[in-house]
Amino acid sequence: MRKAQQHRWIGLLLWGLITALGGVALARMELARQREAFETDARIVHRLLSQRVVQHDAVMATLALLQPVPNASQPEQRLTSLYPQILSVQRRDSGASWPDERLRVAETLSRALRRPALADVDFARGRYQLVLAAEPASFALQMDLRAVVPWSEWPMAPETSPVRVSLAYEGQDWVVQSGRLGEGGWRFGFHKHLAADSQPFDVVASRQVGWRELPWAWMLTWASLVAAVLAGWLAWLRQRAARRRAEELLRLGQVARLNTLGELAAGMAHELNQPLTALLANTQACTRLLGEEPPDLPVIRGAMAQAVEQARRASSVVNRLRRAVERPDLAAQLQAVELQQAVRNALYLLEPEFKRREVAPALALPTAPVAVLAEPVALEQIIHNLLMNALQALEQVPVKERQVTVTVQAEGGQGGITVTDSGPGMTDEVLARLFEPFFTTREAGLGLGLSLCETLATGMGGSLKAAQHAPRGAEFRLSLPLAPVAPEGRP
Amino acid sequence: MNTGGPGAVLSPLIHLIDDDEAVRTSLALLISTVGLRVQAWPDPQVFMAGFDRQTIGAIVLDVRMPGTSGLTVLDTLMAQGVDQPVIMLTGHGTVEMCRRAFKAGAAEFLEKPVDDEALLEALQNAVRQHVKSRERSQADRHAQDRYAQLSAREREVLGLIVAGLTNKEIGRALDVSPRTVESHRANLFAKLEADSLAQLIRHYAALVEDNP
Repeated sequence: MRKAQQHRWIGLLLWGLITALGGVALARMELARQREAFETDARIVHRLLSQRVVQHDAVMATLALLQPVPNASQPEQRLTSLYPQILSVQRRDSGASWPDERLRVAETLSRALRRPALADVDFARGRYQLVLAAEPASFALQMDLRAVVPWSEWPMAPETSPVRVSLAYEGQDWVVQSGRLGEGGWRFGFHKHLAADSQPFDVVASRQVGWRELPWAWMLTWASLVAAVLAGWLAWLRQRAARRRAEELLRLGQVARLNTLGELAAGMAHELNQPLTALLANTQACTRLLGEEPPDLPVIRGAMAQAVEQARRASSVVNRLRRAVERPDLAAQLQAVELQQAVRNALYLLEPEFKRREVAPALALPTAPVAVLAEPVALEQIIHNLLMNALQALEQVPVKERQVTVTVQAEGGQGGITVTDSGPGMTDEVLARLFEPFFTTREAGLGLGLSLCETLATGMGGSLKAAQHAPRGAEFRLSLPLAPVAPEGRP
Repeated sequence: MNTGGPGAVLSPLIHLIDDDEAVRTSLALLISTVGLRVQAWPDPQVFMAGFDRQTIGAIVLDVRMPGTSGLTVLDTLMAQGVDQPVIMLTGHGTVEMCRRAFKAGAAEFLEKPVDDEALLEALQNAVRQHVKSRERSQADRHAQDRYAQLSAREREVLGLIVAGLTNKEIGRALDVSPRTVESHRANLFAKLEADSLAQLIRHYAALVEDNP
């Protein structure tokens, strides 16, 4: 009982430990997966935005190269319809001046750097201006940030994605998508310059993974899986303990039986020795007296009478003992017993014995139950003894050649169990005396096992037969009358 | 119960203790065929209270008896210094029981049913052994009586003779003349009824050692 309690605590502790370890591992895997996904998205975003701003550089360079023909209409104004991110195009012809001082400064810078330069960055409104100094005319583009973002290729759903993406420039911040940044959990970050010197914005992305995003369903599955395995393990332990107890009881039963037998033998020895002592002493005294000259006939006669009396006494002792150990009538205790179940019970109890000798029993059990009339304990004892006999016979042959077959069948109103072994078999002389009490071929055998089995089988209205098995080994067949009704019924 | 013939009054007496009447009468008859007298007792308590400890003979004792076990009876007999040899009989003797019996002082241990040869031979051996031990103790008693008659000086001289000294050496040891030693020597030989030095030493050496 205490052991079972202990097992339960150990099981609970193991469950907690394994569940916790598995949970942590699952969480880490999920976090790693999320980080990977986030970083991939952030890199895609960086690449898309970089391509766009580089495109702006290219547009300006094209404008500078295709200087407008004098007095022609202003073709650059068509750009706004080609590129939605370009809100307006301004041109400063040579000699003219910019309407805005900031454009002039940017042009100077552009001339010095020989690339477009930023003029007016207003992230609050989502606008910025880009100026390229050229000859004879210089150009300025007014850009719309929202249109710069290539939404069609965007790797995330901007409204629902938990990732916050923004562009940063000199303390200004323009939010591309707001995402969801909560408290607690784990935060991933991404920060990288756009790949264009003319528009040196930073892509800033962050992702907050909250506790609720951990793979709770998987963890729960894991916890219940571990619980199921541990419960199975505990059940197995309990079952093993129960089996040990059953084996122990069986062994105890055998020891008790042997003790009873020993007591019986001791009692029998004393009860028989007294009359035998008197009988022997009387007859030997007579022999001596008859040698005397003349023999004292009255004394001899008296002694002989006593000897006869003592012989009768001995025989009555034997009769009394036989009546005392006579089995209760088995025929009165018959009930329907399923042979397959009886075979399985016996095999279950003997499993360690089979394992020890490296023998796997081969079973030929019909699926339909074969129910016979038997006394369940006596039946089990017979099967047990037959199996043990087979196993002991197999000890004399190599492991590879060891085979035990148990067959159950019903025919001609009889249910039968046949136990066949591949042992050395028996000589005809042994076969003839097999069921005699105290006949044994084993050194330590009592010679009562098979004799008892046969008595039990006969007592139940059945029979036990032994035969040689071809090509080698022995075959024992127990036959019992079939039960007239279903296995559950009582006759 | 006496089964000995009238001419066998002085023949050895065997005490037979067994609770089973048939065993008692049949064994008594068998034992009497070799001329031994038998007294059979059904009850070990009655036997111990009533048997004659002086007679020459032996005791045959059954191990398994209701009431007092044969081994207990054996222990009591030995504790009381009974000198008759004891032969134990048992229905099913174990090695352990046999060992206990011999350790307690049993002369023989036999299993029932017992063969006549084995029992009678054991009995005759036991009786012979008993006669011999009685003779020996009687001789010891006589020697003791004679030794008691010696004077203190004669005992001293006897001790030195047994130790292997010559008259001259004894005289020197006791500070007397060899003539005086010679006269003590003649006296103690007479008192101890010894014919030779060898006989003297055989019978009295043990007594000298016990009474220094």
